[in-house]
Amino acid sequence: MLKKYFSTILIGIFLLGCEKEIQLPLDPNQSLLVIDGSITDEAGPYYIKLSKSTGISEASNFLAVTGALVIVKDNLGIIDTLKHEKGGSYKTSKLKGSYGNTYYLEVQVADKRYTANATMPQKVALDSLRINPIPINNEIRYNVIPVYADPIQLGNSYRFIQKINDTLDQTFHVFNDNLNNGKVNQRPLRGGSDSLEVKLKDIVDVEMQCITRPVYLYFYTLYQQSGAGPGGGTTPSNPPTNIIGGALGIFSAHTVQRKQIQIK
Amino acid sequence: MAQITRNLILIWSMLCIFQIQFAFGQDKFVLNGNVKDQATGEAMIKAVIRIEELPSLGVLSNEYGFYAIALPKGKYTVVVSQLGYEKYKEQVRLDSNLNLTILLRSANTLKEVVVESGRKNDNLLKPQMGTETLNLNAISKVPVIFGEKDILKTLQLLPGVKSAGEGNSGFYVRGGAADQNLILLDEAPVYNASHLLGFFSTFNSDAIKDATLIKGNSPAQYGGRLSSVLDVKMKEGNNQDFNVNGGLGLISSRLSIEGPLQKEKSSFILSGRRTYADIFLRASDEFKDNVLYFYDLNMKANYKIDEKNKLFISGYFGRDELGLGDTFGIDWGNKTGTIRWNRIVSSRLFSNTSLIYSDYNYNVKLKNGLSNFNINSNIKDLNLKQDYTFYLNPKNTLRFGFNSILHTISPSTFSGTVINSNPKSGRNALENALYISNYYKASDNLSLDYGMRLSTYSLMGGDAYNIYENDMLVNTIRLDNQSFGKTYINPEPRMTANYRVTDQTSIKAGYARNVQHLHLLSNSTASSPSDQWIGNSYNIKPEIADQLSVGFVQGWKNNSYELSTELYYKNLQNQLDYKDGAEIFTLADVESALLFGVGRAYGLELLWKKKEGMLTGWVSYTLSKTERKITGINQNNWYNARQDRTHDIAVVGVYTLNSRWSISSVFVYNTGDAVTFPTGKYSIQGQTLYQYASRNGNRMPTNHRMDLSVTYDKKRKKRIQESWNFSLYNVYGRENAFQINFQDDPKDLSRTQIIQTSLFRWVPSVTYQFKF
Repeated sequence: MLKKYFSTILIGIFLLGCEKEIQLPLDPNQSLLVIDGSITDEAGPYYIKLSKSTGISEASNFLAVTGALVIVKDNLGIIDTLKHEKGGSYKTSKLKGSYGNTYYLEVQVADKRYTANATMPQKVALDSLRINPIPINNEIRYNVIPVYADPIQLGNSYRFIQKINDTLDQTFHVFNDNLNNGKVNQRPLRGGSDSLEVKLKDIVDVEMQCITRPVYLYFYTLYQQSGAGPGGGTTPSNPPTNIIGGALGIFSAHTVQRKQIQIK
Repeated sequence: MAQITRNLILIWSMLCIFQIQFAFGQDKFVLNGNVKDQATGEAMIKAVIRIEELPSLGVLSNEYGFYAIALPKGKYTVVVSQLGYEKYKEQVRLDSNLNLTILLRSANTLKEVVVESGRKNDNLLKPQMGTETLNLNAISKVPVIFGEKDILKTLQLLPGVKSAGEGNSGFYVRGGAADQNLILLDEAPVYNASHLLGFFSTFNSDAIKDATLIKGNSPAQYGGRLSSVLDVKMKEGNNQDFNVNGGLGLISSRLSIEGPLQKEKSSFILSGRRTYADIFLRASDEFKDNVLYFYDLNMKANYKIDEKNKLFISGYFGRDELGLGDTFGIDWGNKTGTIRWNRIVSSRLFSNTSLIYSDYNYNVKLKNGLSNFNINSNIKDLNLKQDYTFYLNPKNTLRFGFNSILHTISPSTFSGTVINSNPKSGRNALENALYISNYYKASDNLSLDYGMRLSTYSLMGGDAYNIYENDMLVNTIRLDNQSFGKTYINPEPRMTANYRVTDQTSIKAGYARNVQHLHLLSNSTASSPSDQWIGNSYNIKPEIADQLSVGFVQGWKNNSYELSTELYYKNLQNQLDYKDGAEIFTLADVESALLFGVGRAYGLELLWKKKEGMLTGWVSYTLSKTERKITGINQNNWYNARQDRTHDIAVVGVYTLNSRWSISSVFVYNTGDAVTFPTGKYSIQGQTLYQYASRNGNRMPTNHRMDLSVTYDKKRKKRIQESWNFSLYNVYGRENAFQINFQDDPKDLSRTQIIQTSLFRWVPSVTYQFKF
């Protein structure tokens, strides 16, 4: 949050910065399994996507992992063995996502086993989206505030995925209630330097997810690492994950709500 | 290391007993007094006082210009030397105790050198290791960015000192972190020594007399930080004459006034500085709401009560403001105040009592329509220091005293309409130290400085202390406001020795343990005003550094050339870092997000100086390694600290053409900082994420740059003295990497591009200075 402002002000002032693409000698990469899986409160099927990470200088055509054994169980005793659909996506057939339930993921690739679990948090209603105009330097900038009332109990975490005119905002927007427990949210989805600017007449789609604490930590770590420089990002590392066994990625159980607003 | 410590303690106590027996039973008189600049009355620090008839004796004036030497009855020739001043000689007859004020006359300015250590072959005589003194008059000619002469930036050109980034006044000494430097302004600790996110230091060069940097082997009167002591002294003010001094630059302007309050008895100096980039910004539509400025004020006055008592009052006030309209604002600043009482207790005992106040705070304001949100943080010190210098005999000078600091630390506290009010009550702590050291001139060739500092840190009431074991909260301790909790006690032995092999050659060795009780928590790769200070607690133990160093100094051509070499090894304990994803602002207790470990640093430092002639300057080279090993980071393996850099080279030259024109140049070359670049990539929910292997296993590209500056001193007209300085930063326009980002190529999303951002190509500046 702060660092975004620092860079805005500094780069605005000095205007001396110049950017160019460079080549660097980079270390070889150890390709790891990547698990990208979510169980939501929307109607199924749900997908668990398996792929392999690739070297930084290679093309981002991530190798799909097929032929894995993927099982998701829940605390009600349902055992769902996922079927590979295409491109490393494994599909559930009988599981039904709902809040309060715990989901246990088990992935077996060759002779390696990976596990994770997540309990879907309670849904907090997204009441509306509010436009927040910020007049600075003879122009008005905008951002969007998701309006929701945080419940009295401490420990709620949220993730917001913002699309501006159908383009994904690359900033990781994750909130928790450490400071504003039990209050109506007034914090906007602040764009980072790497995100799109919200302009007049734009259509903004916001997806609100009520997420678990490990998922919050995962995305918050990514958020902190984004942006380097004055007051800038933390030293990057692979974010802490709830997957046991040495895979990258995250397994999430979350609720989903969507709203749209036009900036005017 | 523990063994070494025990042995040193043993040696130290044996020496003490031996010294005291040796000291008594000699019938002597004392010659003492003050060393001053004849023109301004400023006290001369570390002038060398020698007796021509007894060449093996020699004392140095202390921080207040006071000296004392005990001699048998007789006739003597007193010789006093100080670099940049004419040699002083006077005949004295000693048949009783004698007070002699020594007035030194400034020598031809052509002879000035930028880095000096007192007398020309002083470095050969003194036992101090890793010590450099910067003279403010002399650094004025070294080019710096924006034409603002700055001691912190000039310091970075010395071996063992690394800059925290291009144009940044933050610095790292011998592998230590930025918070491991004790920065003192007239004895008051300065918690954030930078303005404008590091581009300027808090030290207004017009108000500063000199600055001494001690790289780890500090004498026992200093303590509290692991890596270095930067002791900055403000000018006292001219006690002969009124002077107005000023400078106009592109970024900032300065003005200072000094003069006598009572002629030759007391004086004052008042100095202010402000940047004005914001004034230009306000005129432009595009940036009219950007707020960005700082100002600072230095003030000092001294009053001579009588021949034996002198009082000094000094203060500093500085503030930075940064903001974006009503939406965002951050301001921060230091306040320090020092009252000092110098007293000549007896002809051989000099006392200084200081009462010091120091305050650093920052405030962040965020506003969104009707809602607002604030963060405040503050650290306050009340500090009492008592220091004695006892001139026992010509061979022994004892320093002893105590220091007691009451810290009040309020970590980030939030308020505003957006959030629940959750006031944190801050923490108090009492830091105490007792010390004694002896400067022992064992023979004509051998001198020793050895001592012991005992530091303690006691937790006091305030906010609750949580105790964690294996990430689990196991206990919470609440202390009443007046009561004490755990006390940490740490002995800190120190010793340096100097052996003069010939008139031009000497060897040195030293060991020092330093203990640090306050820690700066920072999770960003660059310094930020919002980095928080935190004291020891039940989880956070005092940081400890043991440093061993050896050195060799060789002079040539009557010591007008000098090469000094030092090797050091440093072992660090109880180092801190954050866990990944730690929410340092919003966590109820930041201690739950800390990790602990150890560190080590070693290196070789070379400094070759040319001290005389038309061309003066130096070449410095550092070869070093700095590593950390923290449980929970890098699979618990050793990794390069962020400030690790293999090679650092600086070349500084000042060429004086004549009394008007001089040209100076700086060239720097260093290995890039240790950073973490991704080795691979993967995709999660449609976004490209990066895969990392070992921490700080990569390097930023190599940095190098050359700066030039030309100074023109106009001929003095009546009282007015004017000078112009033109400088060009980064002469050949090298694009040094400021940051490197990895991103999807917008033209081909399956390709990753590496984007380098660089700042500051060809920054010209002009500064006009006047004095009347």
